[in-house]
Amino acid sequence: MLHPPDLAARLLSRRLSPEWRDYVLGDLEEEFRARATRSAPAARRWYWRQALRCLAKPPRSSASTPQTAARDPFMRTLIPDLRYAVRVLFRAPSFAAAVIVVLALGIGANTAIFSIVNAVLLRPLPFEEPARLVRLFHVPPQDTFPGMPTFSVSPANFYDWQRSARLFDGMAIYRFRPFVLSGGSGAQEVVSAAVGAGFFDVLQARPALGRTFRADEDAPGRNRVVIVSDGFWKRQFGAAPDVVGRSLRLDGNAYTVVGVMPPTFSVEAWGATAQDLWVPLAYTDKERAVRENHNAQVIARLRSDVTAEQARSEMEQISKRLEAEYPAANAGWGATVVPLQEVLVGDVRTSLVVLLAAVGLVLLIACANVGNLLFTRALTRRKEIAIRSALGAGRARVFQQLLVESMLLAVAGGVLGLFLARLTLESSAKLLAAQLPRAEEVSIDTRVLLFALTASIITGILAGMMPALRAGRADLNEALKEGGRNEAGLGVRTRRVLIVCEVALSLVLLMAAGVMVRSLLALRNVDAGFNPQNVLTLRVSPPETRYDTPAKYLAFFQTAVSRIRALPGVEAAGAIDDLPVLGGSQQPIVLEGRAELLPRDQPTVAVRKITPGYLRAMQIPIIRGRDVADGDKEVMLVSRSAARLLWGDGDPIGRRVTLPLESRTEFREVIGIVGDVKQGDLAEPAAPSVYEFTQSLPFGLSTVVIRTAVPPMSIATQAAETLRAMDPEQPVEDIRTMEAVLDETLRSQRFSALLLGLFAAVALTLASVGIYSVLSYIVRGRSREIGIRTALGARATDVVRLVIVEGMTPTLIGIGAGVVASLASGKLLQKVVYGVSAWDPLTLGGVAVGLTVVALIATLVPAYRASRVDPLIVLRGD
Amino acid sequence: MWFKGQPPILGDFEQLVLLGVLRLKNDAYGAAIRQEIHERSGRDVSINAVYTTLDRLETKGLLHSWSGEPTPQRGGRRRKFYALRPSGLAAIRQAYHAFTSMTDGLEGRLGTK
Repeated sequence: MLHPPDLAARLLSRRLSPEWRDYVLGDLEEEFRARATRSAPAARRWYWRQALRCLAKPPRSSASTPQTAARDPFMRTLIPDLRYAVRVLFRAPSFAAAVIVVLALGIGANTAIFSIVNAVLLRPLPFEEPARLVRLFHVPPQDTFPGMPTFSVSPANFYDWQRSARLFDGMAIYRFRPFVLSGGSGAQEVVSAAVGAGFFDVLQARPALGRTFRADEDAPGRNRVVIVSDGFWKRQFGAAPDVVGRSLRLDGNAYTVVGVMPPTFSVEAWGATAQDLWVPLAYTDKERAVRENHNAQVIARLRSDVTAEQARSEMEQISKRLEAEYPAANAGWGATVVPLQEVLVGDVRTSLVVLLAAVGLVLLIACANVGNLLFTRALTRRKEIAIRSALGAGRARVFQQLLVESMLLAVAGGVLGLFLARLTLESSAKLLAAQLPRAEEVSIDTRVLLFALTASIITGILAGMMPALRAGRADLNEALKEGGRNEAGLGVRTRRVLIVCEVALSLVLLMAAGVMVRSLLALRNVDAGFNPQNVLTLRVSPPETRYDTPAKYLAFFQTAVSRIRALPGVEAAGAIDDLPVLGGSQQPIVLEGRAELLPRDQPTVAVRKITPGYLRAMQIPIIRGRDVADGDKEVMLVSRSAARLLWGDGDPIGRRVTLPLESRTEFREVIGIVGDVKQGDLAEPAAPSVYEFTQSLPFGLSTVVIRTAVPPMSIATQAAETLRAMDPEQPVEDIRTMEAVLDETLRSQRFSALLLGLFAAVALTLASVGIYSVLSYIVRGRSREIGIRTALGARATDVVRLVIVEGMTPTLIGIGAGVVASLASGKLLQKVVYGVSAWDPLTLGGVAVGLTVVALIATLVPAYRASRVDPLIVLRGD
Repeated sequence: MWFKGQPPILGDFEQLVLLGVLRLKNDAYGAAIRQEIHERSGRDVSINAVYTTLDRLETKGLLHSWSGEPTPQRGGRRRKFYALRPSGLAAIRQAYHAFTSMTDGLEGRLGTK
């Protein structure tokens, strides 16, 4: 005989009240059997359906009726409770205002930081199905590029990937190409994204006007077409609706505008969309075949059913095959797939998480402070609460009333906080723009509103819970007694716990801020290998269309540098392609007489092109040999670490090397060893570098560096004028001091240090106010005892000591707890600091001492007040 | 109480359940009522809804109930039988009158003729 599904029956039997169990189970079994004679599976399905509906909402048991009746009053009493809470708070406006302001600061700061996190980390990119967009990179051989997880892509490899990969809907290659835009308001440099066929299809982006590129336009000769950004269209064309078909002069050639992208397409964080112009990449066949020069970027769209992980393993397989096929160029070069979102925000994720954690701690401290205020108030209202209890209000009822009050305060604080966040966000979004990806998108949306609401509710519960619980526990008899003398002495232990929490949390924040500031200082004082003081830099990029021979190109810079040297106040001047700390070319290098190895085994160095005068302008020391001079033809300087890497203990001077990516036949003689310079990240060790002075391949030189005897910015105009006078169509950009360049690289660290410092300051203020108010309260409560002590002969110093011990005991416990918490949270912090340990004992000690001193000061006022207690007045009060 | 003079107004599902009890005479218990409603109205309701409504109608004084003997088809479990009280009959009668007088003359338009 068939039985109903066992599991369903058992679940039902548990869920049903005994009153109904037999009837319902019996009915179901009876009907099940009747149905099972027709079709057993159908009967089973029917049984499950019935069981599930029953489980969701079983017939009510009459025994449970009283319970449901008890639940009703919550909703019925909520409105009167709210009304009562509003009345009570209006009766104590200064108390309510203090609480609301403290909470508004806490919630506002949290909301502001969260809205940044929301824009940067949580909100999807404004493309179709952005989760499917990925960037493809090479993975360079780790022996020659230690610590570099990804690398740009070489064109030939890209086209092979595109042909072989099956897991992508499409992939496109792109790179950046500067143009000189002439006509109209004078010459200016404009960086464009030169994009291969299919770029806009991969993004599934549609133009606001006109069209995107056709596949056949990705070829030399047919590529004189340009798509402009919304911003460019408005600035340059006054948003003319008939812009399509007009032309732009780029590097002296006419390009026809074929489309305008909508404003949403300009994602500032991503270079490929942040530009004002897009042109076809239009590689020649020769350029397409380049396999060993890695200088292009790739965007791709995954097929809808494919994960990045699957795509990665496909790319690894293709790379292995290409390695075997082209060992000379590809040995050791792998490939990887990284989601676009991750590429854009990867760097800042940790610092944002640190900030969010820090601002969360500030809110907790605010909660503790408000909790303390609420507690004090709950105690002063003991009589009222006792009367309510005497009239029949249960503990739950009292609890609810007090919690409703604290929630009301928290929500009011939240609304004010949201307002504050909105105010600060407008200005801070501008401030952040250069420091965070997608900062321009920071705004208050539904998610931020939900966050603020949740934060308010949790704050209300956290701050209100302890006071409400403690007040509900109040002893009726005691409270109703006339006099209520001991009132102020109540809940001292609870308050001490609050001080411990506040101090501990503040210490964690202070420690984080301290370590961050020390890290910033360490970075600022890092020896980058040159002297950044009194150095002015200007960028010019003569278009290769007009300066088309090496001689013309080099002559421009040599003339420019010599004219600038003649300016008053100039001590030295030279030119380079990429300034230190900003990164640049990294290439394999081959010594004369040694075979060129596979790329995976070939050593690589940072390669910079310079003109004579550069080293002097930057004060990079020459350790041995000599500087490059105007008469030199093809010569090279190597940094100390490059010399050690390439020749070990041997003498490099007089040896000859080639850079295979530039030329395998052109050998350059090493004429000197110079000091190491940080070419990239200040936090990383200096990379082995070579500086070449070449007559045959000077293209790339772009930055003029000037050492001055006067404040560098004072000659900026003259220097720029000198360059413009040489070629009026030549834009001069990025005029800034070398110190400003360095500062720029430290912006995000400075931003984190600034915010953490600010949070720590708020925390310290809140904590000291907390200590002060708790102690004042305790002193008031013990004034009788103190009066008696004084009457019995205690001196003022004894009283002061008494109060200080009272205040400092929880403070010191809090510091102990904070030290432990700091040590435990160091792991997160360690990821964002440089040159200092997140567990740095000196900082920790300093912070602990500082906090102790502040706490001590906060105890002094109540202590002084206690010492002034007049025994006569206190005892007369009895 | 409010149902002293006038029989109470019944909800749509309450009417179905009361009519089910009325139809089944002395054999009105949960599963039978459920099946009766299913067969006649096409509404495949759940057993918990039936019992919840039966319980409510009993609390309102429209029904009374008694337990039967355990039977083997039910795995040895008892049935709970229901029958109408006079007030239940009055309530369903009123619902019937209300319905028929409201639909009187509308058969053409409702397409029920």
